[in-house]
Amino acid sequence: MRVQLNARNRAYEFEVERGEKILFAGLRARVDLPYECGTGTCGTCKARLVDGRVDDGWPGAPGRKYLKGAGEFLMCQCAAASDVTAEVSSFVYAMDPGACPAGSAAGVVAAARPLTHDVMALEIELDRPVDFDAGQFMAVTMPGVPGFRGYSMVNFERRACKLGFVVKKKPGGGVSEWLFGGDRRASRVGLFGPLGRATFHSSLGKNILCIAGGSGIAGVMSILARACEERYFTHYRGDVFFGVRTLADAFYLLELAAFRREFQDRLGITVALSDEDVPERAPRDHPLLRFENGLVHEVAKRAMQGRYQNVRAYLAGPPPAVDAAIRFLLLEAKLTADSIRYDKFS
Amino acid sequence: MAKTLVCRVGDIPANAMKECEAQDGLKLLVANAGGEFFAYQAICPHQDVPLCEGLYDGSILTCHMHLWQWDIRSGRPVGLAETALERYDLSVEGNSIYVESKSALDVGELFAGASAATLAKLAALARREEYDQGAVIYSVGDPADDFFVLDSGRVEFRIGRDERTSPAGFMLRKGEVFGWAALLDSHPRRIADARSVERSTVLRIDGKQTLAALGADPASGYLVMKRLSALIARYVAEPGAK
Repeated sequence: MRVQLNARNRAYEFEVERGEKILFAGLRARVDLPYECGTGTCGTCKARLVDGRVDDGWPGAPGRKYLKGAGEFLMCQCAAASDVTAEVSSFVYAMDPGACPAGSAAGVVAAARPLTHDVMALEIELDRPVDFDAGQFMAVTMPGVPGFRGYSMVNFERRACKLGFVVKKKPGGGVSEWLFGGDRRASRVGLFGPLGRATFHSSLGKNILCIAGGSGIAGVMSILARACEERYFTHYRGDVFFGVRTLADAFYLLELAAFRREFQDRLGITVALSDEDVPERAPRDHPLLRFENGLVHEVAKRAMQGRYQNVRAYLAGPPPAVDAAIRFLLLEAKLTADSIRYDKFS
Repeated sequence: MAKTLVCRVGDIPANAMKECEAQDGLKLLVANAGGEFFAYQAICPHQDVPLCEGLYDGSILTCHMHLWQWDIRSGRPVGLAETALERYDLSVEGNSIYVESKSALDVGELFAGASAATLAKLAALARREEYDQGAVIYSVGDPADDFFVLDSGRVEFRIGRDERTSPAGFMLRKGEVFGWAALLDSHPRRIADARSVERSTVLRIDGKQTLAALGADPASGYLVMKRLSALIARYVAEPGAK
């Protein structure tokens, strides 16, 4: 079936498979459609149906609250039930030739290892290698759980055969309950991606500031992996703030310390504990990391004072934490909006 | 729109903003910038989000959804925003704040910042036209003598001929400019059809006379041409294109 998408500046036509989400079909055809979460929550990919029929895979998607008029739908949730003509009210361009091509992928769960009592490291071995940029995410679908969930890649490599993700257990969350509910190794999973615009390339040429809450550290790990591999911190500063409730909720501390070991002059890593004072053993056990008590954006604000020149900020984590960080970076640190990158997809 | 009461001075604290409803039901964002007041459309032009939920520091307004930003004094886009906010003329009388809608010429991005004298000349050149739903404004091959500024409604474009046509974008915001070939020396014919798809009001302005007015005021002319080239680039640009 064909989709004709009318944007403010021009129209695009692309093929869509039976059952395929219209957003994914467009991205696969390298049309840079508007989206943010790709998984039904943010409302950014809304479009208006002009002609044809669509099947909504998730009529209860929270992102539907942003739909106004009749005929509006979320491209990330709807498949074409006939040839479709739809309209988005923004300018749409062809995807940047340097962007990693998005497409469907499949793989098996190779490992699932608990990081804390409610966070799991998930490793998926892909049937075919994929390319992605540091900071990107995949929409992942698990057996028996309807729909896709977004997870950032933890690792960074070209032609990656394995992808690492961090999954937080959420009561009532279909995917996390499935994953925490038993040994899922060798289960087959479907993926679509890479997605997301909060990417890091060494050509950036700016100091980087990463503020991540909880499982949001995943994408930051990928950014650090790339930056360290390319020795970025011999020229630019990196400041990483990782927020968790208590020390027992923290993870990847050894990996974070390993990133810092070689670049101690220019890379700083702080763990912010919101719900407890810093235990004495924390700095003793992790001498390369700093520990502070407080909400992660407040800890970052105190530490970063006067150091916002030539900075690109990456934000990740629960939406209220990301919003709080955006607020202080814009209003107090006076960063411009284009120097703040985030994908809200929890 | 006649002058209507929108709120009281005391409703909007220093360097704060609020969504207000004018007497005729129109919703507006009113912002206080160091004691001076400004009124804009209440809804973000990007994704229908109320701007009053955004961030405002007394000079820059940010929509919280996708961080589009505007200068509060001019409504001009800053950073990521792709379009200006529709601004309303505002006057303070005693404790009351009144608003009046601006003409499409003043709202449009193309002429913002042009001198008042030149804007007045252009306003004098403009002819207001109404088109019914489905009416053709121009067709491929027509001479491109005039350009248009959308006041209300919606205009769609198609390129190609006969059965082989395809959509080439649409205009739906007050102040958007189309048919700009009339402002170029080398494009005397239309390359697209323009059709009003709902009842629309446009300003029709003669291209040659506009160029003459801009030529007589080179400072304004330079600004307008700079904007025009940015505007055209938005329609033709593809990544990597030089």
